[in-house]
Amino acid sequence: MDTPLPSGSDSDSEESLVTDRELQDAFSRGLLKPGLNVVLEGPKKAVNDVNGLKQCLAEFKRDLEWVERLDVTLGPVPEISGPQSTPQNKDQKAVDPEDDFQREMSFYRQAQAAVLAVLPRLHQLKVPTKRPTDYFAEMAKSDQQMQKIRQKLQAKQATMEKSEKAKQLRALRKYGKKVQTEVLQKRQREKAHMMNAIKKYQKGFSDKLDFLDGDQKPVARGSKEGAKGQQTKKGPNAKRRYKNQKFGFGGKKKGSKWNTRESYDDVSSFRAKKAHGKGLKRPGKKGSNKRPGKQTREKMKSRAR
Amino acid sequence: MAATKRKRRGGLAVPAKRPRKSGKDARPPAKPRDKAEEAEEEDRNRIPGPVCKGKWKNKERILIFSSRGINFRTRHLMQDLRMLMPHSKADTKMDRKDKLFVINEVCEMKNCNKCIYFEAKKKQDLYMWLSNSPHGPSAKFLVQNIHTLAELKMTGNCLKGSRPLLSFDPAFDELPHYALLKELLIQIFSTPRYHPKSQPFVDHVFTFTVLDNRIWFRNFQIIEEDAALVEIGPRFVLNLIKIFQGSFGGPTLYENPHYQSPNM
Repeated sequence: MDTPLPSGSDSDSEESLVTDRELQDAFSRGLLKPGLNVVLEGPKKAVNDVNGLKQCLAEFKRDLEWVERLDVTLGPVPEISGPQSTPQNKDQKAVDPEDDFQREMSFYRQAQAAVLAVLPRLHQLKVPTKRPTDYFAEMAKSDQQMQKIRQKLQAKQATMEKSEKAKQLRALRKYGKKVQTEVLQKRQREKAHMMNAIKKYQKGFSDKLDFLDGDQKPVARGSKEGAKGQQTKKGPNAKRRYKNQKFGFGGKKKGSKWNTRESYDDVSSFRAKKAHGKGLKRPGKKGSNKRPGKQTREKMKSRAR
Repeated sequence: MAATKRKRRGGLAVPAKRPRKSGKDARPPAKPRDKAEEAEEEDRNRIPGPVCKGKWKNKERILIFSSRGINFRTRHLMQDLRMLMPHSKADTKMDRKDKLFVINEVCEMKNCNKCIYFEAKKKQDLYMWLSNSPHGPSAKFLVQNIHTLAELKMTGNCLKGSRPLLSFDPAFDELPHYALLKELLIQIFSTPRYHPKSQPFVDHVFTFTVLDNRIWFRNFQIIEEDAALVEIGPRFVLNLIKIFQGSFGGPTLYENPHYQSPNM
């Protein structure tokens, strides 16, 4: 271990080449003792005796008729996948062995190609390929095994169908619930409407009993917009809108301007009928129900006196 | 059930039927009828012996056996192969302590000229030897991804002992070692015509594909004439290790550089 090496034991990279060669010489001469020196084998070369293989094949080959061997060497049937140019087809031949589905499909197509190529030949050679229906013979898998397979397939199919049904039912239930809520809301609205009409009549603001005749007006109106349309047209409630404005999006910021040009130009809260005094005409009972205001009454009083 | 299990009576013909058989044979095939049609008609009358239509010339016999210490999957695979290949013979398990060239003597005793030998090591790795018995080449493979006939996902079925169609990848023609393997596989897996235990119909196809430097084996049943296929099984993957010039020994002709031993 302490044997001094012929040219220094430091492993400087510049000197290593020289050192190695000298080391090898010294080793071959048997000057070096074992220990730090390890005999490295060169990379193993795989034996590939091409001539030997060919000769062996030539000797081993038996010249049998094709009908004895029934072999065929063909690539897989090309995929039917739309208009593809030839170079792309060639690239497709590289099947990824990790992709199970692609790999098994390539084997399947190879078998298909073989079968398609060979069947006419077999028919020509009068080798039967189809089994007659009354030909009973032992099969590779027993009937019991085939029964098991059939049962498993059926069970699989049944579970799939069940899950499909369950999905559909769930979707239906959701839809059903939606429809139910819509119907309830509609009923509520109609009830409210009816109550309003009754109250109006009772208070004398309307003397027509049209609302009892059924849904004529609502139908005319409702035919234009469905229940959904009515809801979405008005959007959120006025109360909701006010609250949204006051508290929505982080609420009103402190000290934000409010008499700006935009707020001045905003005429969305303008009600023409109200502004021009054409508001709700409240017909009284033969007109004499209208009670005059305080000042008018004072004037009347003073005038009367 | 009983009807389907009824075995076709091949060579062991009942004496009462013999005169009938000879009568049919004596009738000259003057009419240009298909042999297949004749076979079918005969089948309708009784379970036939299509063997008598031709002589069994291609005398290939395969010895399929294993070493000790194989697991259940290997055992089933071996049984499946024996069932699919009517020209095979079985033998008892061999002790792994014996040298491999003893197998040649076993083959000679059984009068077999090819051999498939399964060797299991450490109860996990399975090696398969394919060999041409007296002089010919032999190859050692590592077997992976075994699925047997009994798996419920393999839904196809075929006649027991029917002749297979062998389908090879074009890659088998490109390299010399693959060409040699192809010849070996053809001679081993193809059922000889008119073999007494074989069925005359060609209703399944073995595919051998070279992918990822391995040979993939699949077995499909031909359902329709338009090449609708269903997998029967078994299926396995062979990873070539070495090809030897002699049977279970001899100079190495080829060594697979892509092979990685499973123990490393």
